[in-house]
Amino acid sequence: MRKYQLIKVDTSALFVSDTHLSEDSPSIINKFNNFLENHASRHDFLFILGDLFEYWIGDDANQFNSVVTTLRKLKTKIYFIPGNRDFLIGPDFLDKTNITLLKDPTLIQLGNKKTVILHGDTLCIDDKEYQEFRKKVRSDKWGKKFLNQGIDKRLEICKDLRIKSYEAQKSKSDSLMDVNENEVKKLFKDLSFPPIMIHGHTHRPKRHQYLFNNHACERWVLNDWYDSGSYLIWKDDQLNPKIL
Amino acid sequence: MKIKTNLGSFSLELNEGKAPISSKNFKDYVEKGFYNKTIFHRVIDGFMIQGGGFELDMAQKETHSPIKNEASNGLKNEKYTVAMARTSDPDSATSQFFINTSDNSFLDYPGQDGAGYCVFAKVTEGFDIVDKINSVQTESSNGHQDVPVETVIIEEISTD
Repeated sequence: MRKYQLIKVDTSALFVSDTHLSEDSPSIINKFNNFLENHASRHDFLFILGDLFEYWIGDDANQFNSVVTTLRKLKTKIYFIPGNRDFLIGPDFLDKTNITLLKDPTLIQLGNKKTVILHGDTLCIDDKEYQEFRKKVRSDKWGKKFLNQGIDKRLEICKDLRIKSYEAQKSKSDSLMDVNENEVKKLFKDLSFPPIMIHGHTHRPKRHQYLFNNHACERWVLNDWYDSGSYLIWKDDQLNPKIL
Repeated sequence: MKIKTNLGSFSLELNEGKAPISSKNFKDYVEKGFYNKTIFHRVIDGFMIQGGGFELDMAQKETHSPIKNEASNGLKNEKYTVAMARTSDPDSATSQFFINTSDNSFLDYPGQDGAGYCVFAKVTEGFDIVDKINSVQTESSNGHQDVPVETVIIEEISTD
C-alpha cells in the first residue's frame, strides 16, 4: 500500500468548488477557463473541492473539452475532491487533465496549519433523504451499472434528475440543507482539531469560528459560481475570499 | 384551457378520462386563479418547459396537498403533452407542471425511478408559442439553472 504523503503548501494555493459547469451555461465555462488561465496559473496549488461539473456522466462522454484543454495546459498542481454532482469522474479525465484525486476528507498543511478539506455534503446529515441517496449512488454497484449504460441513457437519467432536484431543494427547510454543527465538531475532533476546515456544497459562503476545548478552529465555506466566480486564496499565511 | 403568457397564448385540452385526479387538480388551481402571474421558471431547450409554482420574484407559492401519481395511465410524454412535475417522491405533484418540447419517452411510466411522470393534457393550439418559450435564452439565477433571462410570465389560465 502506498504511504500517504501529507500535501504541504508553503507558498500559495487557491480553493474553489461548486462551479457547476454545464454545457447550457457557456458563460460560466468561459469564466472558469479565464480563472484557470489568469488566476490559478499564478499559484502553485489549486484545490477543487467538488461539483466542478453540474453533471458528470462518465469520462467516455467527452464533455467540456475546452475545460480539459485549459486544465491540461496549467502548470499549477491540481487536486480534486469529488462532489455529489461529479463523483463519477474517472481515471481517464484525471489523466487527461493531470489532476490528482483526493479522498473526502483529506488533511493538508497550509504553512504550519493543518487543514481539512472536503466537499461538505457528508456534514449535512440532517437531510436524511439526501444521505440515503448518497449512499446508494456512491456504491460501486450503482456506479458500474450507470456507466455500463449507453451515453444517451445516462443523459436521460440526468435529465430526469434535473426536473426533480429543484423541487426537492425547494421543499426542504433551510436548516436541513446546511451542515449539522455536531457533525462539524465531530470531524474536527476526529482529526485532532486542525485549525482550518475548507468545504463547499452548501453554497453559503462564510467564515465560521469555533472554540472547541481550547482549540481555535475556523470553517471556511466556499461560494458557488452561479452568480459570479469566486475562490479562496491562501497566501502570506492567510486565507482570503476573492470575487472575480 | 387557455394559457395567456407575455409571449403569446396557447391552449390545452385536459384528458379527464385517463388522468382524472391530475385534471381535477389542475382545474382546481385554475379556478382559484392560482396560476395567474406565475412564471415558467425552468426552460431546457429541446426537453421541456416547467412552470406553475413560482411568482415573478421566484418566491414559491403555497400549494394544496400533493396528489397521487397517475403516470401508469398509458399517456406518453410526447412532444406538446403536459405532465405533472414532482420531487423524487412519486406522489408529490402539487401545482407545477411541464410541457414536453420533444418526445421524452424516458419519462413515461415506469421511467427512471419506477414511477414516471403523469401526462394529463396536451397542447391543442399555439404550438409556435410553446416553441418560442422553449427557445428563450436562459441563465443561472439565485442558485438555479435554466432560468429564462427575460421572465416568461403566465398572465392567466382560463377555462375557455
